[in-house]
Amino acid sequence: MELMKLEIVTPNGVIFDDEVKQVTVPGGEGEFGILAGHATVVSLLDTGVISIERKDNRVVSVAVNGGYVKVDEEKTLCMVDGAVALSGDDTNLAKAISEAKELLEKAQSSSTTIAAAISKVESIKK
Amino acid sequence: MANLKEIKRKIASVKGTQKTTRAMKLVSSAKLKRAEEIATRSKVYATKLTELLTEIAQKMSQSNEEGIDNVFMKENKNPKRVDIVFVTSDKGLCGGFNHQTIKQANKIMQEYIDAGVEVRLSGVGKKGIAFFKYNQVEMLNQIDDLSSKPDYARSTELISSLVKDYVAGETDKIILIHNGYVNMIMQKVHTQQLLPVDVSTLEITNSVALSEMEVEPDDDDTLLDALVQKYVEYSMYYALLDSLAAEHSARMQAMDAATNNAGEMVKKLSVKYNKARQEAITTELIEIISGMESLK
Repeated sequence: MELMKLEIVTPNGVIFDDEVKQVTVPGGEGEFGILAGHATVVSLLDTGVISIERKDNRVVSVAVNGGYVKVDEEKTLCMVDGAVALSGDDTNLAKAISEAKELLEKAQSSSTTIAAAISKVESIKK
Repeated sequence: MANLKEIKRKIASVKGTQKTTRAMKLVSSAKLKRAEEIATRSKVYATKLTELLTEIAQKMSQSNEEGIDNVFMKENKNPKRVDIVFVTSDKGLCGGFNHQTIKQANKIMQEYIDAGVEVRLSGVGKKGIAFFKYNQVEMLNQIDDLSSKPDYARSTELISSLVKDYVAGETDKIILIHNGYVNMIMQKVHTQQLLPVDVSTLEITNSVALSEMEVEPDDDDTLLDALVQKYVEYSMYYALLDSLAAEHSARMQAMDAATNNAGEMVKKLSVKYNKARQEAITTELIEIISGMESLK
């Protein structure tokens, strides 16, 4: 499977920069998946969860509270205001999940969007 | 003899000052490291944001022959009212750091006033506010404790109120002035026109064929408005971070110079002290010898 570059940037720095197989982002007009060779697009990002399928087929989720995504031939660039990666072992994961929930609750989106994002985050726990 | 004592006291006092300035230099260099790191990390975001904004703006100007017809981009040729925001530090003892910003703010303000444009001034940082207050210049916003502790929410609050006036058509321009960090020994005053976004100054990027770029949501304005909002907010916040790093570097430099000067002064005073001591001994010797002579 062809790989593509993904970069996630927050005001506190670059939090993800690697080659991935696929990424699904919460676009302003609905969730969409991006594979290598996707058409050039710029979209708003809503509050939600970015899920990334990495080279080794592991799926990593990152909770974000809105921003932009730009896809072009070279790479996919997500610019978000705040992000919490949901990964690591059990103790770290539990901590990350509560952090993510806090982040999402503070986001300025409609309550349904936030609720949906939170339930998604919680589902990762199981 | 009184002279000797006095010099000694002076030496002790200068040494005391030197200790303080040296400590302040160390504190500043530690703080600088942190501030610099934060500023560099945010710079990535700032650069990407500007890039994205440029691309969208270019795409829009390509698709629209009459240029961009967006409230955030259209320049008013006859501005009536201009907002100037300046960022200075809350604390002093950092050499000419604040003075440079104030000078620039003053200069730009004067230019607009001479052109018959009304200027509204907003100040961040105690030092600049104190200056304009002393000179009885009225300020719209006076914000303390923000430049020493940059806070996204507070900086957004400030700039949003100005953007609101801009959108409502009450002001025609927002200009941001701050003294930014270049390296350990250099600061540079930046004057940035936040709104309207001056597309011509944004760097042209070569990247993809813009006409093929899809934009979602697909009416251009929604995305562009959100992007400009973010751009303005972030520029303001970044100015604070940049200014803080510059402040620490300026203070470090000033304190370094002060420490060196104090060292030199101690040296001079020591020489003076030794001379005075030698003089006192010589006088005493002469007295003893002449006393002996008279006994003969």
